[in-house]
Amino acid sequence: MRTKGLVVALLVPIVSVLIAVAAAPPFAPRPASATPGYARQTGISCQACHTVFPELTPFGRKFKLNAYVFTNVKEIQATDEQSQRTLSLSDLPPLSVQLQASNTTLGRGIPDAGVAGDLSQQNSTQFPQALSLFYTGKISDNLGSFLQLTWNPSTNAVGIDNSDLRFAGHAGFDSIGVPDFIYGLTLNNNPTSQDVWNSTPAWGYPYIFSNVGVPPVTKTLLDGQLAQEAVGFGGYLFLFDHLYVELSGYRSAQTSFTNTTTGGPGPLDSTSPLPRISNVAPYWRVAWEQDWGNHALEVGTYGLSAQVHPTGIGESGPRNSFTDIALDGQYQYITDNHIFSAAATWIHEIRKFNNVTLADHTNDWLDTARLTGTYYFRRKIGGSAQFFSTTGSRDFTLYCSPSTFATAPSPACPGAATGTPSLLLGSANGRPTTQGATFEIDFLPWLNTKIGLQYTAYSKFNGRSHNYDGFGRNASENNLLYVYLWTAF
Amino acid sequence: MKTSVAYAVVAGLVLLAGWAEAQETNQPPDLVRRECSTCHGLRGISVSPMFPNLAGQQTVYLETQLKAFRDRSRADPHAQAFMWGMAAQLTDSTISAIAAYFAAQPAAPGKPAGRDETAGGKKIYEEGISTQQVPPCGSCHGEKAAGNAVFPRLAGQHRAYLERQLAAFISNARANEIMHENSKNLTALQISQLAAFLSAQ
Repeated sequence: MRTKGLVVALLVPIVSVLIAVAAAPPFAPRPASATPGYARQTGISCQACHTVFPELTPFGRKFKLNAYVFTNVKEIQATDEQSQRTLSLSDLPPLSVQLQASNTTLGRGIPDAGVAGDLSQQNSTQFPQALSLFYTGKISDNLGSFLQLTWNPSTNAVGIDNSDLRFAGHAGFDSIGVPDFIYGLTLNNNPTSQDVWNSTPAWGYPYIFSNVGVPPVTKTLLDGQLAQEAVGFGGYLFLFDHLYVELSGYRSAQTSFTNTTTGGPGPLDSTSPLPRISNVAPYWRVAWEQDWGNHALEVGTYGLSAQVHPTGIGESGPRNSFTDIALDGQYQYITDNHIFSAAATWIHEIRKFNNVTLADHTNDWLDTARLTGTYYFRRKIGGSAQFFSTTGSRDFTLYCSPSTFATAPSPACPGAATGTPSLLLGSANGRPTTQGATFEIDFLPWLNTKIGLQYTAYSKFNGRSHNYDGFGRNASENNLLYVYLWTAF
Repeated sequence: MKTSVAYAVVAGLVLLAGWAEAQETNQPPDLVRRECSTCHGLRGISVSPMFPNLAGQQTVYLETQLKAFRDRSRADPHAQAFMWGMAAQLTDSTISAIAAYFAAQPAAPGKPAGRDETAGGKKIYEEGISTQQVPPCGSCHGEKAAGNAVFPRLAGQHRAYLERQLAAFISNARANEIMHENSKNLTALQISQLAAFLSAQ
């Protein structure tokens, strides 16, 4: 029947793309926001801006909000006839390198993709897991950057990583009672990478994690789905030393696309392997920070709303909408001997599928919550614990068969329009529920080097604890024991 | 008519100039606004005791310390971690402007502490401890601990900061021969009492 054939033909690329987007962070190790480039530029040691990298102190937050421009190196300067400064170039480029190396032990090897019935290696060693070059620092007065290139082992290619270009200034009108405030503009390639608290996804815990684990079937849009695949531009204010407000807009700018006609990175069309944001997706952020004594407390909200054209659908076709509304909070207690911090976030996503049958029903929801606690003694030894949970509405079409389709529905996936769940990656009961905890112990022989032992335990994965994919895979078999070395210089 | 208008205009201008100048000296220098204030507060009163209050501090003391950070002669751990970088490129005139600004700010109010501690600290501050070769601190730092030229204001300073500086003088982490001699015989309890008294002033 022609209609059914058309539906299937649309579904194959759309669902596989959705799952690919959900499953594959572009550069699996989330990069650091700490760089020795900033230390070189400012002459200030790491602990002024970081509790333990990459988490920021109140001073580090101010440095970022001020566009990374505070400098103590000699500069090449120029002024014009009106005594306006026209150039302020660092004599010493604020460059730095970051190296990550690791070993991951899976709970159980994953099915071998080539030999049926056999398993992959249980251990996976990466040296490097990532090697990054940073240019981070002042470009000119009021203009600064966080620019990162990372070499990715599985593609053997160097690509753009989290990047942020900022313009910022101060204003204050004491005579009319308006206290000093910071204003700024940011241009970045990942929603929440411009944020200065470590409770939002881009710079939230875990800061480094395995690049060989089994990815859960889905994530919210704010949870890294647009990393390096969108560009955002926006403005912010930091008022009264307490209140942060930001409004930004994101458009798709995909590093994974080549237009077959122009041969260039655009314009994007229906052949893009990732969903495309239609027009501009607004992003908002409001946060209040209250500091007292050695304590810093933040509470806030953030969100993103995107109308999206799936792969295979042209600009005039129907769009799906993803609206994320999130809350977050962070607490820090910072002294020389003891550092304790806690961070929490909850993201609620409303998904609407309009006139495109790539889900069981028009409306779906997805919630992600994370709660993290961290402690360090003298910035030398410490660790973290995080509890995470993703839950959502049941949807067999979205979650059951992420990448392969059989013609007949399987008894393990009743009600699915499209067939058997995907081995390892799908959800047999159609629920995206993934829950568990990550525990970590760290040792820092020097301020710029961290050695960590991290364990992630899943109580549920893709909907269940046992046989979640219909092929016998248990959630605990995706557990990870992850040992890493992370250094920047 | 014309003359009185002229007088009124001149008087108005003088008043305006006076008002503007008053605003001027109270305006934070740009560097203070952008950098110093993030830790020390815009008016020199800091939130975290890790960073000292600078409001109402002695001008000469502030200038001396900023130069000591710049030439690295002051080398206690926090000086190294935070202030070496901050002061590295400061010119003498910038240092003077920053010092003048903070010195002109209203000093931080004292934070009350326990009566016994404060009484103990007051005794040491005013009388010294002759049996331990500790001279009365007030003889250099002033009757009201407001300081004098190169001797810093101690009144209203964060307690934890004062304790850390005394410990640094004793261990020579902060090099100062006079303060080392004066404080090397202080016990931990006496340091605590002194800091409690001074932070309450």
